[in-house]
Order: sequence, then C-alpha cells, then structure tokens
Amino acid sequence: MGEKLEFTSILDREESPWRGKAFPAFFSDLNLNQVIERIRLEWGEEVTGLYHYFPADGACSDYRREVFRDVKAEGLYEILRGFCREMKERREAMGRKETVKAALQKAVWHVREVKLYCDAFGNLSAGLQGLSLGSRGMREFREYLEAYLAGEGFLRMRQEAERITGQIEGLRLVLTYESDRIIIAQGEAAGSYDDFLKKCFPGHKKQFVSPFGAEPDLVELEAELLKAFRKRNQELFLDAERFFAEYGEYTDAALIRFASEIGFYLSFYRFEQKMKGRGFSFADPRTLESSCEEMYAKGLYDLALACSGREVVANDMVLRRDEKFYVLTGPNQGGKTTFARSLGQLVYFFMMGLDVPAEAAGIYRFTNIMTHFSVEESVETGRGKLREELERLADIMAASSRGNSFLFVVINELFTTAANYDACIMGRRVLEHFLGRECRGIYVTHLKELEGADPGLVSLRAMLDGQGNRTFRIERSAEDAPVSAGSLVGRHRLTYEQLKERLS
Amino acid sequence: MNAYLLYREKEQSAEGRYFEEKNIIRDLGLETVFWAASRDVIREGEKVIALGEPDPFLESAMRKVMMVPLMNAGEISYRQEILWDCFAEEAFIEELYRFSTEVLTCWDSLGRKAGDKAGSRNTPGALITDIHVLQLFVTSLTRLKKLFAEYGNRLRAEGFRAMHARLCEEFSEELSCSLERILREIAFYARDHEEGITGKMVNKPRIVLGCSLADGLKMADFRLEEVDTEIKKYRNPASMLSRAQNYLSGKTKILASIPRGTAQAAQAEQLEFAAVRYIVSCCEPFLNAFNGFFVQLRLQAAFYRGAVNLKHHMERMDIGFCRPGAGEQDVLRFRELKEFVMGIEQRRNPVGNSCCLDGKNLLIVTGANQGGKSTFLRSVGLAQICFQCGLQVAAESFESGIFPAFFTHFTRREDSAMNSGRLDEELGRMSRIVDNLGGQSMVLLNESFASTTEKEGSVIAYDIVKALKEAGVKVLTVTHLLSFAQRMYDEREEDSDVEFLSAQRMEDGRRTFRMTLHAPELTSFGLDLYEEIIGTQFSG
Repeated sequence: MGEKLEFTSILDREESPWRGKAFPAFFSDLNLNQVIERIRLEWGEEVTGLYHYFPADGACSDYRREVFRDVKAEGLYEILRGFCREMKERREAMGRKETVKAALQKAVWHVREVKLYCDAFGNLSAGLQGLSLGSRGMREFREYLEAYLAGEGFLRMRQEAERITGQIEGLRLVLTYESDRIIIAQGEAAGSYDDFLKKCFPGHKKQFVSPFGAEPDLVELEAELLKAFRKRNQELFLDAERFFAEYGEYTDAALIRFASEIGFYLSFYRFEQKMKGRGFSFADPRTLESSCEEMYAKGLYDLALACSGREVVANDMVLRRDEKFYVLTGPNQGGKTTFARSLGQLVYFFMMGLDVPAEAAGIYRFTNIMTHFSVEESVETGRGKLREELERLADIMAASSRGNSFLFVVINELFTTAANYDACIMGRRVLEHFLGRECRGIYVTHLKELEGADPGLVSLRAMLDGQGNRTFRIERSAEDAPVSAGSLVGRHRLTYEQLKERLS
Repeated sequence: MNAYLLYREKEQSAEGRYFEEKNIIRDLGLETVFWAASRDVIREGEKVIALGEPDPFLESAMRKVMMVPLMNAGEISYRQEILWDCFAEEAFIEELYRFSTEVLTCWDSLGRKAGDKAGSRNTPGALITDIHVLQLFVTSLTRLKKLFAEYGNRLRAEGFRAMHARLCEEFSEELSCSLERILREIAFYARDHEEGITGKMVNKPRIVLGCSLADGLKMADFRLEEVDTEIKKYRNPASMLSRAQNYLSGKTKILASIPRGTAQAAQAEQLEFAAVRYIVSCCEPFLNAFNGFFVQLRLQAAFYRGAVNLKHHMERMDIGFCRPGAGEQDVLRFRELKEFVMGIEQRRNPVGNSCCLDGKNLLIVTGANQGGKSTFLRSVGLAQICFQCGLQVAAESFESGIFPAFFTHFTRREDSAMNSGRLDEELGRMSRIVDNLGGQSMVLLNESFASTTEKEGSVIAYDIVKALKEAGVKVLTVTHLLSFAQRMYDEREEDSDVEFLSAQRMEDGRRTFRMTLHAPELTSFGLDLYEEIIGTQFSG
C-alpha cells in the first residue's frame, strides 16, 4: 500500500469559481439550452449542470480537451459507459433502499447497493488497466482508483457483500396454491408446464411476471410467506442486517464525484456520434496561442438548428490578422442570427474543451463570451426597451474593458426601437468601443450604414440566389443576383423543353 | 398465416395505389362499380325480383383492391384463376365471405377494435375476452378447414389450393390439440368470473410455481410448474406421483393458510390471474399468426364476392364479359367493348365498340358532340382498371398492355368555363401527373385544356402530348381542340404510331355512338345539336 493519493475532479485540476453557479448569461441567446437538452435526452441522464460549469481559464480548457481526446480514442468510451450503467443500477438500488419500509428489506437492498458499487469501480479499474491514456486527468484518476481498490477495508467489504447476496440469490422456493392455502417448500419443483408451453409455441418470449413487482415493498402475501419461511430459516437473513449496521457509510467522495462528472464527456461524445451519423461534422479545434494567426472555421453551422432537424446551411469564416469584428447585414430571415449564434457556439464548445460544430477550426484563447440579443418578447417598447438594452450593453462594454480580458462578443440587432439616425450613431459608437479593446466578435444589424472603412471591421452579407430566394449563405459583402419571371405554363414546368428535361 | 388470395406472396395493402385515385374514380364513374358490387341481384328463376341491401364492406373492399394495380401478367392470371373458380362455385365464395364476416363480427363483439391486439391487456375482463378470442380462433380455423375439405377437389386455382395446404400446416392437428388442452385448463377462469360466483366453493385448479427472492426479497423469476384443473374429479396415478415428488424434493415445507376476505386472499387471486394471463400470453404467437388472417381473409374474399355480384349485374343487362388477356405495351385490341357503368346506371345494354390499336401509342378521338367520344374513352379506361385488378371485362374480348402508372385527366363540360384559376388547376394536376409517370404509363385525356382559348389550349395540348409520347407514355385523348388534332395529323409519318378516331355521324346527323377510323373532323357539330334542340322548336 502506497501513500494516500489525491484526486479532485475530472473537469478541472482545481476547484473553479464557476462550479455550481447559475448558467452563464449567453446560454439562452446562443440557443445552447436547446443543444444541451438534446444532449441530455440522447444520454438519458441529467448532465445539464455540467455544461453550465464554465472553465475559469485556458489551462482548464486544455485539461478537459485532453480527457475528451482520451474518450474519443479506441476503448475508453465503452468502458466508461459500462461503468455509468452499473452506477445507475446502484443508484436505483439506493432509491429502493430508501423507499421500502421493512427493515429486513432495507438491509438486503443495502447489501446489493454496496455490491454494485464495488463491482462498478472494480470493473472500471480492470478496464482501464490496459489502456494507454494521454490525459493527466484520466491517468491521475486511474492511479487514485487503483490505490483505493487495493485498500484493506474495501477488499473486506466487497467480499462480505458478495457472500451475502450470493446466498439470497441462490434460494429457490416452490409454492403450491390450492384455493385457500399455499404450501411453501425450498428447492425445485418437478413440474413442466412451462416446457409444454415452450413446445406448443416455440416463438413465445413471455416471462411470468410477478403481479407484485410494481410495488417495492413486500405485499401482505409476500410478507406472510416470508414470515412463515423465516421461522424455519432464521440464520439466513441475520448477516444482511449485520452488514447494514457495519457498512452504513461506505463511499469515497472523489470517486462519487468522478462518476457524476464523467457524464459530461460521455454525453457529448454520444451526441456527437449521433449527429455525425446524420451527416454533421465535428472538429477537434486548434488552439491559437497568438492573435497574429488567423481565427477560422470551415463548414461552421448552428448546432441548435441541426438538433431541431431543420435544414442547415454551413458557412466558412475567417478573421485575418488585424480584423476584429464582423458586421453582418442582409435580408430578414436570411440566416444572419443563425450565423451569429453558430459563431458563439463555436467559441463555447471550444472553451468547454469539447469538439466544435465545424469541419475544422482554429480559435484564440478567449476568457469569456458575451452576447446581447434584443429581447423580442419583452413587454417594454420604445424608450423603456432601449434603456434596458443599453443597460445590458453597458455591462458587456465594462467587462471588455477589464485588464486581461479577451472577450468574444455577439451582438444581434441593437436599437431596433430607436430612429434610424440615432441607431446609426449609437451603433458606430459601440463598434468603436469594441475595436479599441482586446476582443473579437460579430455585430448583426439591418443598418447597411454601419459597414465601415475601419480595417478592423469586416462586412458580411446573407446572400440571395438568382430567383431572389434566400440561400442562408454568408459571404464577404457582394451584391445579390437579379430576379427572373415565368408564365403560367412555365411555372407548372410544362413547356415542351421543361417536359423533355423532366421526363428524360 | 396468410390468406394470399389476391397475390401469390403478399397480402392486400394500401401500397402502390393509383396516383390521385379520387380523380380516376370520378372520371370513370367507379362509384357505380363499387355500388353494384355491394348489392346482390336477387332472382326468382330467370326473373330479377330485387336488389339486396348494399353491403358497405363489399363496397370498401372493392375500392381498396381495385385501386391498387397489379404489376404483371402472372399476378393478373393468379387472380383470374381464383375468380373463375368463384364463378363456377358461387356457393363456396359466398360461404367463405359469410363465414369470415361472422368471425370478425363475433370478434368485434369481444372488443377487437378496443384493444386491437389480443393477448396483451391486463385486467380480468380483458383476460376473459382473450380466452374467448382464443376459443373463437380455434373454433373458426377448425370450421374453415372443414369448408375447404368439402370443396377441395372442385377448386382448381393455385391460390385456393395453396391456402388450404397452408392452413393444414400452420394450424396442424397437434397445435389444435394442444390449444384445446390449454383452453380446458384455463376455462375455469372465464367461468368463475363471468358467473360472478363469490361465496360458493369453486373448483379451482392447483397451481404450482417455482420462484426465487430477488430485489429486496420480492418474489421473482417465476416458473410455472403445474396447472391441474381436474385433480379434484379424479386422481390419476401420474398426478399422484408428481405430487408426491413435489413434497419430497423440498427440504422443508411450510403451510401458510390464506383466510378468505383478507388482503392475502386478494393477492393470491392476483397470482392466479397472473398465471392464467401468462398462459394466455404464451399463446400470443398463435394469436398473432392468425390476428391479421381473418381480417385479410374477409377483405380478400369480399373482392371475389363483389366480383360475382358485378357479374350478376352484367348478366342482368345482357352485357357480355370475358377474361381479358395481357399483351405487350403497344397492344390494345377489343371486340364489343362496352361502357358497363352507363349500362348499369341506365339499365340498358350499351353500344359496343371494336378496335385494333396494336402498335399505336397515341390515340386522338375527335368528332360529333354527344357522339359517344367520352363514353368510348371511359369504356377503355374502365376495362383497363378491371383488367389490371384481375376482374372480368365487359367485352367479347379484350387484350392490352399493363400500365400500373395509369392517369385520367378529364375536364367535364361544366368545368370548362374560361378562367385562369381553372387552367391553373388543370395545369397543376397535369404537372403532378408528370411527376408520377413511371416506366409503364397510360394517360387518358378528356377535353383537357378546355379552360382557355382554342388557340392557347391547342398549343399547350400539342406540347404536352408530344413530350409525353416521346417519353414513351401511352396517351389516349378525346379533344375538341381541332388545331391540335390537325397539327398532329399533318405531322404524322408513314407507319405512324398515332391513330385517329372519330365519332360516327350519319348523313342525316344521326349518331351511332360507334368510333371509326377517321381524320380529325374540322367542323364542330355544335350546330347539329343546336338544330336538334332549339332549331326545330321554333321552325315548326
């Protein structure tokens, strides 16, 4: 036995100030809650809180990215997933223990819960044995786990739990029911009605399900039979009660925390696999250490939109050296907001240490994300709404002025309630503010006047096609193609030429 | 178990229906066909005395089956064989249909529609129902086997013979015996609960179960060892022996008595319910195997039953019918083909037409108003639909290619008011047809594109018909767009695959309702009609 090892969290080497906080403000603006909800549904267990746990710094992002790469590598995901299943089973046993009333039942459930705990970590450790792990997080956890499992106390507890569960599970009873009495005997009966049924209907897969299975407590009949049976077999259940008294508290805090936090990586990996199956790309992003390099994303898309099953158009983006802010204009419903969201999502998933929704990407080490979306459903209008908008904006502008901060800012349709003239001036002032700070971002607006000459601003446009239809493509500013007209027959694609083409 | 009376290897389904079938039904007057098929012609000797009450099920069965075209000559003759067996043994198909209807009515009264799937519900009431359904299935299949045995030698169609063989195999003697044993053993349950016996001692069976204690000492992993209903009537040595063994195999045996009226007694009854439920649910593969069978059998028998009615209606009007033949794609020939829908509606024997259009892929019919052009086109359409679902055709002979992609595009007179909304709708319908054209397509155009000027309509018709023909689509069109017809006529070449027919009109303006080979008629006969209806009124 070596010295006692330490292990804090698989999400961070040290405790982050973000842990346990309410979710960051940009979450709903970027539709991230829709994505997280989908991830939760795919995974089937609560993981939302883990996605609110925002890293405090770049070191934490790196720590997580290493772990996620291990999860993506051959083998680890399946082992961890099996582990989670076993832990879920243990939680269910724990839940049963808490709901049942009879003391003997509680004790039996407790023995089972402890056995499942031992098995889950035992199997996990065995699975991790042969794997080559690249991340500090997983390597340190493995060491910690091995040391824990080798401890004297754990070994004895496991042995005892196994012995007791084995005894109870091995028991077989025969019940003979004759109108007003039941005869109980220990052993196997010699009947064969089940075999006869199997022979008649080789295809049937039915199980004789207990009519009392839905009730976790013993029903009167079960209690009565058990009582009668126990009279003759007292020693059988005493061990379970002894074990319950001795091992009431038995868990290791760090291990339990690992079990709940590992779901963060697994749920995302599972979600990513599902989405890849539907044809969506994910990239392991490059971390750009210097702002002299260009930030880029190829085939970037809105993951929330992709989750909803609607059609998704991917776009490329690049911010070259000295380019700081996008100004995005174009027709209504032309994909402007979607593009802005996808940029915010890109930075979020990058900072969380996960893969990003794009074919390839390289991203700076931002310290935070700030978003400002006008609140459509706000009851305030006119001046009241403008005031509220400006107040929220002031917070973002203040945050960008703090030393060491390097924000990614997403601003969507500011000042829609103000007069055009005012809106232009205010918009320009806002842009000037951000251009003078260490930040990057995008400003979505219907005001073409804001596209500026400043070298830090890049004009983007949501494009239309030749027929004037929206394409949802975002490109560096260019003009739209003209619209053509057609006749009634042509509109139904029934001219001779159109038919020749349709019928070829 | 499958009925397979409509197809050699599949049951009837809604797949592969004609495109926008409601247009076909309306354009060809098929409602009358469905209606006639649903009513018996009741005779007394030679004389027709009445029509039977309409059977809505027959009507809907015809609609379902007729609107799904068969794909090849093999499928068609498979049905024709069965149908001609039915024509020869009308009593058999009548009995088969009546029998399957009875089974389903009985099953409905047991709540077929409510639960739909037998063997999966969880209340004592539902369990009793399931026991009855099980009993119904066993009885019905036994009866069906007998019916087939009775007519066995006289049925020659492959479809009937194969079904009989399947029935003997899938509902074997052995299975039949096992099911009867099970029914005997669980019958007590249905009887007890139905008669509502509560206080009286009931002759319950002895049920022996094996179980273990899992999940917090709850009873689990049950094994059904024995169900013995007859134990109290007589004790046979075998059962005595097994009972003795039961007692010996246990190390200790404890007796728990269950006083009446306690929670324990109610739970013991639940346990008994679970045992019977389990036995019935084990029969599910059997129930499932025949679950869809009766539904399909009734539907499929209904089709042939309806066809026999249709035959009676034709015979009543002296309309002859034949077993149509399948030919190549460019074959279309018939003798004395009749529009029997009109015949049935107007209770007379319509004029027949004979034509040989072999090698022709485009037919253009022009000529006198009220001259029978549309009737002629409808008679071809009707014959094609009947032929493609295996029915008899109202002609002395009929041979055609098979066109599963069959479309009608009819403009009725009352629709032809000139307005762009209507033209828009017409073009839209045409465009949808184009979207759904397949390898073997036939399109019937009746006075299409009438909702615009003659000149515009002709251009549209010309472009569309030409493009369709070049794409290998068989087009039969009745048109009053004479510039279109004339242009087609002028452009035809030697050995052309285009044929022109015209409604025959005698010198005196009298119509014979027969089509003759003829160049497009350049004069409209509206004037004749005017003369006939208005002219004479005021001149005399």
